[in-house]
Amino acid sequence: MNELAVQFDGVSKGYTHFSLENIHLELPTGSIMGFIGANGAGKSTTIRILMGLVHQDEGSVRVLGHTMPAEQAQAKLEIGFVSEDMRLYGPATLKWHMEFMRPIYPRWDQKYAEELARRFDLKPEQKIKGLSHGQRVKAALLLALARRPRLLVLDEPTTGLDPVARVEVLGELMAALADEERTILFSSHNTLDVEQISDQITFIDRGRIIDSDNKEAFLDRWRRLRLVLPPDVQVPRLPGVVEVGGSGRLPVLTTDRFEPAMVSVCNELGAAVQAVDTMTLEEIFVANVHSRRERLTA
Amino acid sequence: MNYAMVRRLIWKDWYFQRTAILLAFLGGAVSLGVIAFGGRAGFTLGVILVVTIVVMLSAMTVMGNTIEEREKQTLAFVMSLPISYVEYTTSKILGNLLIFVPFWVAVVGGSLALIVVAPPIHGFLAFTVIMAVEILVSTCLMLAVALVSESKSWAIAAMVTGNVALNLVGYLVAHIPGIRRQMWGTAIYWNATATTLVASEIALIALLLGGTFFIQSRKKDFI
Amino acid sequence: MHSDIVISQSDSRPMYLQIMEQVKQRVAVGEWAPGDEIPSIRQLAVALRVSVITIKRAYLELEREGVIVTQQGKGSIVAPNPELSPRLYDEEFSEHLEKVARLGELLGLTSEEIARRTKEAAKRLNEGRMKEAGATKEIV
Repeated sequence: MNELAVQFDGVSKGYTHFSLENIHLELPTGSIMGFIGANGAGKSTTIRILMGLVHQDEGSVRVLGHTMPAEQAQAKLEIGFVSEDMRLYGPATLKWHMEFMRPIYPRWDQKYAEELARRFDLKPEQKIKGLSHGQRVKAALLLALARRPRLLVLDEPTTGLDPVARVEVLGELMAALADEERTILFSSHNTLDVEQISDQITFIDRGRIIDSDNKEAFLDRWRRLRLVLPPDVQVPRLPGVVEVGGSGRLPVLTTDRFEPAMVSVCNELGAAVQAVDTMTLEEIFVANVHSRRERLTA
Repeated sequence: MNYAMVRRLIWKDWYFQRTAILLAFLGGAVSLGVIAFGGRAGFTLGVILVVTIVVMLSAMTVMGNTIEEREKQTLAFVMSLPISYVEYTTSKILGNLLIFVPFWVAVVGGSLALIVVAPPIHGFLAFTVIMAVEILVSTCLMLAVALVSESKSWAIAAMVTGNVALNLVGYLVAHIPGIRRQMWGTAIYWNATATTLVASEIALIALLLGGTFFIQSRKKDFI
Repeated sequence: MHSDIVISQSDSRPMYLQIMEQVKQRVAVGEWAPGDEIPSIRQLAVALRVSVITIKRAYLELEREGVIVTQQGKGSIVAPNPELSPRLYDEEFSEHLEKVARLGELLGLTSEEIARRTKEAAKRLNEGRMKEAGATKEIV
């Protein structure tokens, strides 16, 4: 049994106006990884390389123990893939798609598929072209989940869904994880979703992985320190500060390596620590990207 | 090669084009009737109709199940199934040829049967066979270009090229001394010239299809 | 049983702390008695739609504080003698008190006024809890 469901080692891929550089990714079996990045950062390219749909220029990719893209047919037997730019066949019904997939996947669970149709409020007899965007996303997810895959690869699974549908989908994704042998990788703009259900989080920006860690570690490491400076005191120089904001006498330090000791250091240097704020994943991501881009242009 | 999956993909393509396929077959049957019972004028008209239908059918199916996968964005869905690029390519080539070839065989067979049965047109045998295989060549050209380029414009260009080539070849072959002399005669014959021509056409088909497989399996950005 | 726990998205505290607090409340109120089985980490993760790693952390902390006990391969139970007021809360309490003192100073309150307002807040909280308990009694 493989410890790692997905393993990227030094993967690079070059295009005319964009390149993925030196991507390292490790996704342990049984966990769920959220993949966050701006538009055009490389999330979709990475996911396509994972699925064997794009061949990397350098580096090795192993998915569920199979080398990609060479062994993609075997790997895909165990993978449920849904991407934002994927469409089902408009003239056919959801039922047709279910019947189409059924003999292909050995673990296809027809009962579960029908139950999902009820929970997602989908009518199997309805043609795909008559469905709204949200319904289509749910239909594609249904088809991916019903095959009981060992790995779910989802590119923006909740984008475009109304809040009720989002909660349902997150619930089904978590329910799939009740089996410890199942793994999920999903990319999203929606940092709230990622923050809520991910075990591991990876940030990608402009073709590079800029951070990857478990969720709790991220939320622990990042803090905003709100200081009040007396008139003659300078902003303390602390290691691990990625951004300094606020005003002259009320600076706000953003750090990605918070230690409680920092508070005492600030106090010793004469800066009163008014508050130590936790940061949401969205704030962490934006701060991470900004500081990195600033360092590059500096 | 996972033949079960290839079969399933072919079935899917046929399912979505079942109406077009049926209509084409009906049209072909009607044209054959026109050829058989329409006299001299009917013969010419029927032949034109048949060739048109055959060409259009191949264009429709190729556009419908290959180019459309890219346009309608179902390619990602198909490639998410447990298949490789080679199996995808096989299903498209086999799927299209299996629609086209039986139709082609029926029409060509019917035409040849008519030629054999009616002495006035005996001489047309060699020419008909050469042109029939030429139609196969231009179909394979369009199939190859559609699969490799995944672009509507390129596929249409290939279709037009194939059509033009068909007419050009038709004209040229009809004027090759070895063929022309016998064409308007009343004897059924076959000669070395005809064999050479047909052999090179078949080689061309093999090149087109083989080349397609080669390029497809080496594609680095399938989607 | 585990779907009784409700997570509030607008609560700015880390998720694992919210979960810990709710578990401790249930133990304190008696809904989860000493020795009772509690949902496994994965079960709770699925029920709450929260990552496994967060639940794991909450459980680890709860175990460290002596509120629950995790048996290898058999899930978790409420500890026979659950310890509900850990050192951690004390630290948080002190931090908040310092904040109160600072804010009070900014507002220009005297220390007596600060103390009085603190007492009032505690009293209000107590009254609120009694009302809840009374309402629950009526339903039961």
